[in-house]
Amino acid sequence: MKRTIRLLAAALGTGAAAVLAGASPAGAAETIGGCVFEKVIEAEETYGSLHTIENGPKDDLEKFEDGLGDCVEAPSPILPEVDEIIWGGAAFLILLAFMTWKGFPMVKRAMDARADKIRADLDSADQAKADAQRTRSEYEARLAEAREEASRIIEEARDRALRLERDLQARAEAEIADQRARAAADIEAGRRQAVADLRSEVSAIAIGAAERVVEAGLDTERHRRLIDGYIDEVAEDRG
Amino acid sequence: MADDRVAGYAAAVLAVARAEDDEAGVTDELFRFAQALRASNELRVALTDAAVEPSRRQQIVEDLLGGRARPATAAVVSMVVGAGRGGQLPEIIDAAVDRAAADRNRTVARVRSAVELTPDQRSRLTAALRSATGADIEVRLIIDPSVIGGVITEIGDDVIDGSVRSRLSQMRAGLA
Repeated sequence: MKRTIRLLAAALGTGAAAVLAGASPAGAAETIGGCVFEKVIEAEETYGSLHTIENGPKDDLEKFEDGLGDCVEAPSPILPEVDEIIWGGAAFLILLAFMTWKGFPMVKRAMDARADKIRADLDSADQAKADAQRTRSEYEARLAEAREEASRIIEEARDRALRLERDLQARAEAEIADQRARAAADIEAGRRQAVADLRSEVSAIAIGAAERVVEAGLDTERHRRLIDGYIDEVAEDRG
Repeated sequence: MADDRVAGYAAAVLAVARAEDDEAGVTDELFRFAQALRASNELRVALTDAAVEPSRRQQIVEDLLGGRARPATAAVVSMVVGAGRGGQLPEIIDAAVDRAAADRNRTVARVRSAVELTPDQRSRLTAALRSATGADIEVRLIIDPSVIGGVITEIGDDVIDGSVRSRLSQMRAGLA
């Protein structure tokens, strides 16, 4: 872009220099001094000297004075000099041609490049906006997921607490039932032990009474018969 | 170690009885004394109390057996008690009795009864046990009132229980 601007400035400078160079000679020939000088040279060549004119015929003097008067006559404020028009027009044409050949395409390319850059910037901005929108959408989606996850965790915690409460309640009930069963078993075992103790006591009393009866009833004859029976039993069983 | 000590004392006891040429009489008296020692806790304590001087313990033995048993029997018991082995005296006597029987190719049958057996009962029981075990049996009778009635025979680890005491125990177990 900068290179294009520099080329355009160089072309304009070249055109302006050409115009100034072309206009300079026409300016120099049209000055009042130069005009007077030319009229004087021309009169001296024609009449030999200015005293000749002054002392000569009145008509020659008037003609010389008219010529000097032409020198001090003012130029046209509207129309330039012909050679100025020619040089200016040529410079304009050259500049126009150069601009048509190089400048305008260069400007057009610069403008196109600028437009492309702006378009690219706009596209980038759109892309960035789209990215930001997508990021926002993703963020919102993640936020929604996080909220959902949080809700799920809270729900699970609530369910877990509920289950734990039920488990504890069930365990407590089971423990109570177990304690009741154990207490009932203990009562039953105590009852059975009491019955067994009572039975043992009764049997001990009964056996003690039986022993006393047996001992009292065992006389010599009964002892003899018991021993004889034992001997016979050993002889039969082991024989 | 304890078994070796008991066997050594038993051999010494048996050697004394044989030296007196009265093995059967001495072993029979020793067997009875062993049963009396088992039955009397007071006597067992008197003969095994370490606080009592050995000479005093031997004097107790002399007082108990002097004039009632053979001098060899009293001497053997006094020797064991004086050596401080009164607590093992029943085992020593049992080992001596078993060894004496074994030397005669016999097996000792310890027979418990509440009353004395008649000679006929003793011979019939010996024959029955010989028939049952196939071995030559030497019956050693122990009078034990706790048997109440009937007989209990021990041959080694085998027990043949025909006592009234065991029947009453069975009745007690049945009632319990």
